[in-house]
Amino acid sequence: MKKIIYLFGIIALAFSCHNDLDQNPIDPDLFTEVDVYKTANDARGALAKVYAGLAITGQQGPAGDPDIDPSLIDEGFSQYTRILFTLNEITTDHSVVGWGDPGLPNIHEMSWDVNNPWTKGMYFRLAQVVSFANSFIENAADLAKSNSEVGYYIAEARLIRAYAYLQLMDMYANVPLVTKVTTELPKQSNRAELFAFVESELLDLDSSLKDPKSNEYGRVDKAAAWSLLSRLYLNARVYIGQDKFNEAIAQSEKVINSSYSLNTNDGNSNGSAYDELFLADNDINGAQNEFIFLLQFDGLNSQSWGGSTFLVHAPIGGTMDASQFGVNGGWAGLRTTKALVDKFGYAVTASNADNEPTSWGDSRAMFHTDGQNYEMAKIPKFTEGYGVTKFRNVDVNGNAGSDSSGDHVDMDIPIIRLAEIYLNYAEAVARGGGNSATALSLINELRARAGAPLASSADFNTQFVMDERSRELYWEGLRRTDLIRDGKFVSANYLWPFKAGAAQGTASEEHRKIFPLPEDVLLVNPNLQQNPNY
Amino acid sequence: MLNLFRVKLFFAVLSISSGIYAQQMVSGSITDEDGTPLPGASVIIQGTDEGVTTDFNGNYSISIDRGQTLEASFIGYKTATAVVGEQNQINLSLSTDNELDEVVIIGYGAIRKKDLTGTLDVVGSEDFTKGSVVSAQQLIQGKVAGVSIVTNSGAPGDGANILIRGIGSLNLNSNPLFVVDGIPLDSGGVGGSRNALNVINPNDIASMSVLKDASATAIYGSRAANGVILITTKKGKTGAVSYEFSSRATSFSPVSTIDVLNASEFKQAVQATQDTDIISRLGSSDTDWQKEIYDQAIGINSTFSASGDLKGVPFRASLGHTDQEGILMGDKFNRTTASLNISPQFLDGDLRVNFNTRYVYTENDFANRGAIGSAAYFDPTKPVFDANSPFANYYTWLDADGTKLALSPTNPLALLNLTEDTSEVNRIISNVKIDYDLPVEGLTATINAGIDNSTGKGINTQDANLPTDADGFNGSNNEYDNTSTNLLFDAYVNYSKTLDASIFSITAGHSYQSFEYDNSSSQAIEYLNGDGTVNTNTSITQNFIDKSKNVLLSYFGRINYSVAEKYLITATLRTDASSKLPSDDRWGTFFSTALAWNIHKESPTIEKVFNELKLRIGFGEVGNVNGLGDYNFLTRYTRSDIQSQYAFGTSFYTTFRPAPINKDLRWEVGQTYNAGLDFRFAQFGLSGSVNAYIKNTNDLIATSIVDPFTNFGTTINANIGDMENKGVEVELNYTIVDTTDFSFGVNYNVAINDNTITRLENEQNVGDLGFGNSLQRHQEGKAPYAYYVYKQIYGENGRPIEGAYADLNGDGQINNDDRYFYKDPYADILMGLTTSMRYKQFDLTIVSRASFGNYSYNSMSAASNQSQITNLNRLSNVHSDYLDTGFLFFSDKNAVSDHYIQNASFFRIDNITLGYTIENVVGENPLRLYVTGDNLFVETEYNGIDPEITGGIDNNFYPRSRALALGLDIKF
Repeated sequence: MKKIIYLFGIIALAFSCHNDLDQNPIDPDLFTEVDVYKTANDARGALAKVYAGLAITGQQGPAGDPDIDPSLIDEGFSQYTRILFTLNEITTDHSVVGWGDPGLPNIHEMSWDVNNPWTKGMYFRLAQVVSFANSFIENAADLAKSNSEVGYYIAEARLIRAYAYLQLMDMYANVPLVTKVTTELPKQSNRAELFAFVESELLDLDSSLKDPKSNEYGRVDKAAAWSLLSRLYLNARVYIGQDKFNEAIAQSEKVINSSYSLNTNDGNSNGSAYDELFLADNDINGAQNEFIFLLQFDGLNSQSWGGSTFLVHAPIGGTMDASQFGVNGGWAGLRTTKALVDKFGYAVTASNADNEPTSWGDSRAMFHTDGQNYEMAKIPKFTEGYGVTKFRNVDVNGNAGSDSSGDHVDMDIPIIRLAEIYLNYAEAVARGGGNSATALSLINELRARAGAPLASSADFNTQFVMDERSRELYWEGLRRTDLIRDGKFVSANYLWPFKAGAAQGTASEEHRKIFPLPEDVLLVNPNLQQNPNY
Repeated sequence: MLNLFRVKLFFAVLSISSGIYAQQMVSGSITDEDGTPLPGASVIIQGTDEGVTTDFNGNYSISIDRGQTLEASFIGYKTATAVVGEQNQINLSLSTDNELDEVVIIGYGAIRKKDLTGTLDVVGSEDFTKGSVVSAQQLIQGKVAGVSIVTNSGAPGDGANILIRGIGSLNLNSNPLFVVDGIPLDSGGVGGSRNALNVINPNDIASMSVLKDASATAIYGSRAANGVILITTKKGKTGAVSYEFSSRATSFSPVSTIDVLNASEFKQAVQATQDTDIISRLGSSDTDWQKEIYDQAIGINSTFSASGDLKGVPFRASLGHTDQEGILMGDKFNRTTASLNISPQFLDGDLRVNFNTRYVYTENDFANRGAIGSAAYFDPTKPVFDANSPFANYYTWLDADGTKLALSPTNPLALLNLTEDTSEVNRIISNVKIDYDLPVEGLTATINAGIDNSTGKGINTQDANLPTDADGFNGSNNEYDNTSTNLLFDAYVNYSKTLDASIFSITAGHSYQSFEYDNSSSQAIEYLNGDGTVNTNTSITQNFIDKSKNVLLSYFGRINYSVAEKYLITATLRTDASSKLPSDDRWGTFFSTALAWNIHKESPTIEKVFNELKLRIGFGEVGNVNGLGDYNFLTRYTRSDIQSQYAFGTSFYTTFRPAPINKDLRWEVGQTYNAGLDFRFAQFGLSGSVNAYIKNTNDLIATSIVDPFTNFGTTINANIGDMENKGVEVELNYTIVDTTDFSFGVNYNVAINDNTITRLENEQNVGDLGFGNSLQRHQEGKAPYAYYVYKQIYGENGRPIEGAYADLNGDGQINNDDRYFYKDPYADILMGLTTSMRYKQFDLTIVSRASFGNYSYNSMSAASNQSQITNLNRLSNVHSDYLDTGFLFFSDKNAVSDHYIQNASFFRIDNITLGYTIENVVGENPLRLYVTGDNLFVETEYNGIDPEITGGIDNNFYPRSRALALGLDIKF
């Protein structure tokens, strides 16, 4: 009988293992809320992810442990500014790309589908930034009660969320508005609701962000909120069918009058202070004074295959010498069309035998013409269309960036810089009325620092401001929005090479002004309806 | 008092010598030839009527005088005898008279085959495929109806995707559980290991049993969701020590390569662009890159074993060595295995110990598989070597500044010769199983404790001369170190009682398993300064830690009841708790029951016709969380590494990313209904079985896309729907002739399976093609992983028209709504046919397989277009399908065109073996010599490299080689 008792003893022993079922992570690289929000300093790591969601692609650099599942979009492609370039520049007269990755040729020819990796990738990227921000805002709230610096962190996370929603509204129009951590399937919103949310958040943040230029480099302040409001109002007709040019002017003025200033420091003494904005040391060479909202990159510590690494490598090809750009080689992908080149027609100083321009008196015309065809016969071949040399991984002294392998680039990417706000002001004046003399002088400030001929009041009209935006801000992720606002993105009244797939360009379809919601999302969230005609 | 003493011994176990107890007591075990215990065998003293019967584990003990003869008998087996000498332990193995009375191993016990109620196929060593087998799964390929075994590649020692009755799960592990002598194997393996099954030397395996339906597998609960394969290894037997040696030398040769353009076709394709700049990139060589990277390979495989008893303790020890090259140049697999089994007995045989340990040491050289894709794409007009290349003279596309052209393919020979990827893996699996007969007649308690420990370490080096576009690259090292430790503790009791004609047995127990992984790695990449010194600023050294642990707790019970050998019933209950699931949904209880009716016992008339005619029906359910990650229900944050920090001001911060969570995860549950008929004609030499089944998998766990506003990641594992597999399996064994000089027999099996998703909350795009394009879709009412594609339109000349697809919904535009479901990657019908012949000393076996209704997507031909050839300032080869299509671009639509979905049905001769046996070479022992060939013939319409590719997406597949071998087996 005692054996039976012993046997039950063994069984009792077995039950004692039950506590073992509650396993907690044993990996020292896995953390819980308790660790991450312990102190204000710890919380910076979580805030850094809210920013980094726009800058890098995962937790192992340059690629590895991606934020977005690679079945949705390749990790290297999934970086925010890379997709922004693809959707806002390659769709337009500013750029073409020669690579044949599935779905990429569909971008310039405006034939993207509901499963296009780039239109899909942007949706996931921005939505994820919203969810990272929501998580931060909720989890840091307790810490903020005892630490005012954390209060600023929360305000910054809200600003990034507002920026993400501004972009979502611009690109997808009808996305869910989610402002807290939830697992419930959200309902669809529309541009009116999103506009109201973004506007009220940004207006409210005016009181909770730090004063202009009083924050650390790389973190946003009040000027970023004003700048986003200026963008929002400038596009109000597109978003909500109302003009808000006066509001755009008012917000722009606040920025213009703040302590941000145009970079006029010609660090490399080439006669222009424009190119310094896009160099490896643009965090210290003076350009930083113009950057209101920027993403920090570093060749060693913040790596990805998007970001400035993409912007520098992808346009290098043909006879361009990669070492002049501070990198080890070109990816021979990006070029521009003659439509952008022609925007600089007013300042041509030399042409070739075919009367095609090869030199300009405006230092912003950063084109590589040697071995490149001005007229584009087909997109895939690199030598079709002029190259663009705007972004470089060298400092003002010509030294290459920190990654001596020449892969990853140090250049920071401005999301909002003061020059855009000048042009927002000028456009709002041109479209809505106001002080055109001030507007013209702002534009001439931009021209002067680029060593370009100044404009006169006779030049000033809406078309002029739009073209000036092109000249100043090309390849900075704004063009598609500008063309839509200007009524030229899909219509026949403005054509560029291979617009909508035709060599000479042709009109596209009205519904292409907004991108489709990714089919993958529609499949999981039955509350959502696809955008019209997709 | 004595009882208490014995119980104490039960815990003190091994320390006491067995000699002092049994002056006249002799104990031992009665087993079949494979070492499987025979319960209920009778053991008598010859010439007397004194005797005992063996217990549930085949053990007996009897009081007997020296010089008397012990006689063991069992229905269906030949009687065996032994004269009692000084030894107090005598183990006897009985050879079969009749297959029906064989005892088969089932979970936590053994049962006579005729008492079996579940669906179980046993493949004994005599029926194993005898080719150049390196991994256990190859032994039964094509032998069992409804079991699909597809090797992952042609690499030596590589693993396989094994499916029993179709895919049972969408994203969780669909492979069956392997149980080696009662120890469930961790299927994951550690980094650096090619295949978890490499731990077993195939020569040590006595038999493999495939448990197919849930009534057979339910005792293993959640680990058995996709079936169970029980591996029984060879055991020691009482008697003089005997030795076996077998050795085989194999030559492997490449048989198929990707059908790309040859140099002259390629030149024409490039010249057709009429673009002088592009044409100027052509070279003048004629290189068949695929020929350059594959080569003949050699393999040597030897095993030496000894078995018998040492001072009365039966043992078997074996030592094996495999040294095999792969056809991809530089690929090597080198394995040494050692195993030891000892089975001493104590306390008059009441306490029996079975100790097994097996150890494997593997050294791998992994040839760089990037060379496979690179060789397919590399421009055939370029030479292998170029004196002007700065990269150890390997031809490389160069930039204007003399560095490697970015995004251009790397010379495949440089990849093979200038990179090294080696690993060493140690794995040891040990268990001790202790059976103790309690003083209640028929009651045995068993404890089985096991440990499965793997350590793997490897290093991945890139030579400083490897073509790269990185400046100042001075080579890199990537080292990793993995450990995985699994612990198992099972305790259970068996009680069996015979009442007149009925036998009743019950098993109940507890199991505890823990799985702990530590996959840590370090990375070192060195860059040079201009002066040739190493730049410490940019050189990267960092360590990654990746650890995880989970626990599985279980209680299980089983009842077997048989009446007059006619009516049999089995019922099983198992309850499992996994730490992978949130505490509310952690426990799952799974039930099964099966009934069987031995019809031939009903009347002598039937028994005249049939030796066996058995009808079986069963139902069972099992849970599944295999392959699911740990801690999915907890909020976790992942820290970034040093290269993915983010700066505020000038300080860099490692970031914390919240991981997606699912607090609602619950068990995936599979339910199987099975009906089967086993028959064996008394004459004709014909036997077989027919099974029909329906297997429903409910609450399928799959990687599922989330609305990205609602969680932090983009995908989570979630319970998303239900799926049904239904099918019919037929197995026939037909011995046509069997005489002393000549025998001829065939074994044929066929399985028809239909797999449908029966419920799905949301459709899911799956089948990632690498750039965010999905080829397949899960949808209710369709097969899982069905291809979801555009319908290509062909011109009058039969060629596909670029960008022209059928407007299937007729809305006047071609968009995603025009995609349709076209075929799926899984076979509808699988067949296996083994033909065996023997004439005098010659034997011949032919193993063949066929598969019907499986379709594959040929990625290489899908990427064939002019832009692929000319893009990026270099030239790139394409699949010869380009000659047919002439497509210009790779659009997001033609990547998913049905043009690239092809019928990959096939017939394959897996193996032909011809042997010659010379009798009485060493004493009475024979010597067998044989030649064997693997992968000798394939017939298919598929235009890719191999029709047999798991998952259907054919991309950079390491081709299977043809193997020809010479071997010998000798006993002495």
